[in-house]
Amino acid sequence: MDSPAFLLAFLILSGITVTSALLVFVARNLMHALAFLVLSFLGMAGLFMTLSADFIAIAQILIYAGSISVLMVFAVMLTPLASRDNGNSLYVIPALMGGAGIAGLVSLVAIETDWAEHSGDALKAADFERTVPVIGDLLLGRYVLAFEVASVLLFIALLGAILLVQDRDGGDATGEAQ
Amino acid sequence: MPASTEPYVLNIGPQHPSTHGVFRLRVVMDGEVIRDLDMIVGYLHRSMEKLAEERTYTQNIPFTDRADYLAAMSSNLGLALAAERLSGVVPTERSQYLRVIFAELQRIASHAMANGTLISDAGAWQTPLLYMFREREKILDLFEMTCGARLTTNYMRIGGVAFEPPPEFWPALQELVDELPERIDEYFELLTDNEIFLGRTRNVGVISAADAINGSLTGPALRGSGVPWDLRKAEPYCVYDRFNFDIPVGTNGDVYDRFMVRMEETKQSVAIIRQAMEQIPAGPHKNDIPLALRPEIGEIYSRVESPRGEIGFYLVSDGTPAPYRFHLRAPSMINLSLLRELGVGASLPDAVVTLGSLDIVVGEIDR
Amino acid sequence: MSHLPASQSATPMLRQIAERPTVRGALMRAPLPVKVFGALFVLGFLALNAGIAYVVIDGRLDGQWYDVRDLGVGVGALTDWMRDQGVPEVAVYLTSAIVGATGVLSLVGVWLIIGPWLERRAIAKFQVRMGPNRNGPFGLFQSLADAIKLMQKEVIIPRGADKILYFIPPVFIFVPALLGWAVVPWAPEMTYTDLDVGVLFTIAISSLGVLAVFLAGWASNNHYSLLGAMRTVAMMVSYEIPISLSLLSVAMLTSSMRLSEIVAWQSNYNVWMIVILPFAAFAFLFSSTAEINRTPNDIGEAESEIVAGFYTEYSGMKGGLFMAVELGNAILVGALMSTFFLGGYTMFGLETWIPGYLILLTKIMTVYLFFVWLRATLPRFRLDQLMGFAWKFLIPISMVQVFVVAIQASVLARVDAPGVFVLGSFAIINLSMTILLVRLWASRMSVSTIQQATKPILTQVVGGLRAAEQIRKPV
Repeated sequence: MDSPAFLLAFLILSGITVTSALLVFVARNLMHALAFLVLSFLGMAGLFMTLSADFIAIAQILIYAGSISVLMVFAVMLTPLASRDNGNSLYVIPALMGGAGIAGLVSLVAIETDWAEHSGDALKAADFERTVPVIGDLLLGRYVLAFEVASVLLFIALLGAILLVQDRDGGDATGEAQ
Repeated sequence: MPASTEPYVLNIGPQHPSTHGVFRLRVVMDGEVIRDLDMIVGYLHRSMEKLAEERTYTQNIPFTDRADYLAAMSSNLGLALAAERLSGVVPTERSQYLRVIFAELQRIASHAMANGTLISDAGAWQTPLLYMFREREKILDLFEMTCGARLTTNYMRIGGVAFEPPPEFWPALQELVDELPERIDEYFELLTDNEIFLGRTRNVGVISAADAINGSLTGPALRGSGVPWDLRKAEPYCVYDRFNFDIPVGTNGDVYDRFMVRMEETKQSVAIIRQAMEQIPAGPHKNDIPLALRPEIGEIYSRVESPRGEIGFYLVSDGTPAPYRFHLRAPSMINLSLLRELGVGASLPDAVVTLGSLDIVVGEIDR
Repeated sequence: MSHLPASQSATPMLRQIAERPTVRGALMRAPLPVKVFGALFVLGFLALNAGIAYVVIDGRLDGQWYDVRDLGVGVGALTDWMRDQGVPEVAVYLTSAIVGATGVLSLVGVWLIIGPWLERRAIAKFQVRMGPNRNGPFGLFQSLADAIKLMQKEVIIPRGADKILYFIPPVFIFVPALLGWAVVPWAPEMTYTDLDVGVLFTIAISSLGVLAVFLAGWASNNHYSLLGAMRTVAMMVSYEIPISLSLLSVAMLTSSMRLSEIVAWQSNYNVWMIVILPFAAFAFLFSSTAEINRTPNDIGEAESEIVAGFYTEYSGMKGGLFMAVELGNAILVGALMSTFFLGGYTMFGLETWIPGYLILLTKIMTVYLFFVWLRATLPRFRLDQLMGFAWKFLIPISMVQVFVVAIQASVLARVDAPGVFVLGSFAIINLSMTILLVRLWASRMSVSTIQQATKPILTQVVGGLRAAEQIRKPV
């Protein structure tokens, strides 16, 4: 972490992440906001990469930049008048309050954390070479209950989605499986 | 909970890869499904029928080249026959056979084009199209050999045909006729059992026999729906009654049936050409007629079977060298009129394939 | 249907080709003994060369910097030398990064010149025509000429287009096409970055392209573009699942997500993954053609329906970039297919004689030519057929395959030295299971269009509706 290359990478990536995150809510066009959001996700993935968290970085790209953004695209496309000026919405005040709350929470955690124990020698002792087996062991060992609950939940959501869009008259000419 | 989306208008054409010319479809779509469909024609209008009233009957033959430019011989033949019936000129025996040979060659060429572009519309990247162009190319070479032009042949004349084919024509024709059945079998093997092609064309654009008759469809579009109507058999013109051939009819009336009917018709055309080559008598290729032919006062509707269906000529004579009224019944135009019924409710790819299977020529629609 | 005499060539076309005064025609006309002798001579020549290569390379050059079989060794030697000279670590790191990136980029760049030429020539051969043959030897410079032409063209921004978002997609779509190469192993030491989550990385990278496609379609302000974009996005999202499931099978069996280890596994057991997991290989190949928009799954840019799909409005080099990415993706899929299912850079021991990257290139070329073959032959699916194929066919069968492979993987972990017997039984089980499942499933979904291929009825009757009913009655 001490080398200038890492510092440079950190500065660039955090710059991209923060700037595009800011632009997400400055942008007046919903599609522009979406594009900036993806950029911010990618910057975040880069930050994870500099922290040697390969798996998390790739999961970030796969799930957030790849899938969640497509979900948002579909949501935007199904919303009437998506490209109108969205700046004067009534939701601004509750959104600001929610944002401030989350920012406060994150800063509180950052202030309260004892950073010394997560750097220096403790950092060197950790093995960053093979993170995937460790994650796999944890998921199927210590956190197996949470893992299973999550998978059951997702499965039920999948079934629910299929039930919702099922055509009761049977057979649609262009049954798009969305 | 069906997700509803806003319908939107899509302009297919006038320049689009699958409209087969300058022809425009104005489609209202909801997602991938067509909700409404307008056919807008007239981009190629050349006022052919009005211009014809200023010209003699023979001078009008080149116009028919430009009407159905993929089957110029058939339209030539239609006008020549109509003028002959109106004026009572009798063509020579040899020219009758030459007319049959050239009209059937034109049918093969036109069907090759129609089927090739249909498969291109279904998404095969032009390979079948170019295969079929090989035969079309040879046929066009034969045309060039005989009358100097490949596309706008201007070959049929009132009372016969314009030129006697050169001596090297007959061996070339014999060679072509010998290899054509083999080639047609190649296409059968290439395409008829292709699962994707079947999936795209089976039960798509279905026209029932009753609908086809009510829509006054003609040609392969009618026969694909199972109606055995072919003017060459129903009211034989030229010498078609002397040849032995079958009418292929489809069973289901879908795109695939129309495709297969065209395929089969090329085989029958080869058989007809073979018989005509055996039976052709010697003699003059043309009767001499007066330069300015003045038919009796009267009218005539005369029709022939072009590759696209019944091409009919309605001529009114007032005793002058030029027709008083000249009307062309364009099969493409009338076959196309059913597209709205077929397209609405179908998806865009199905509509495109259906349009391809109707085999329109815009020159004939707009005239 | 075939009534040709056996002595003649199969098709009139082949006969025509044999009659041409070309090298190929001369080869085809040659009598059989000459052909056999010539083939033996060529084989002997190759064997001689291989022998020389064996003596020169295998005996003397092992592991040295000038060992051309594995360019990674050379780069490793260079970085070691730089460290010895006391160069700062950043510079060493940057050097190796730049050398590797240049290697990957130059490969893709060269391919963008050769790929279109190869495709066009090959398709021309399929279509009985010449193909590009004017620019340079055999028309090789045709792609260069095309690129120059595209760059000179004006980039037209359609009225009403989103000015910012219109310019991002052509560039953004290049990122996944290039990043995907990072994890492909070219030789034991020749991987740009050998991530231990390589499989996941490839899936993640391929999901990135979706967004660029969608933005391109949306920003163009054109219904064709939007339609193409929606089609492509729907298809990419659907076909990511079979890809992930088939790669999951591979990862479970090899118990690694590192691409070099997957290759090493195949090399160890002397078997290609396509033999053990035929259905996974098929699912990967088919889904990849959908992901990269190639026939028969090119509905996203079906030119007979929606002109050029999501890049209809892009002119000049902007459109050219989309086309380039399509090509780049095609070879990337070829590389991944070779790595996962065709043994990667290994070839049953041949890689000790011939550089591994050449073997991989050959395999990539083979897969690419397979794509070209598909493109020259098959019509296109319809959107609902394609979606139905993914959701009703590929995904359920892939799921079953994953369960079976999970059992096989646990068996494999418990056997000390799995040999021909264990792997062979796996292969037989998977193959028979695939055939059984596909047949059962197909009959269950009653997709047997083959039976519907009826021929027209030939008749001498002429008439209207009544005649039509008469004809149809006996059928």
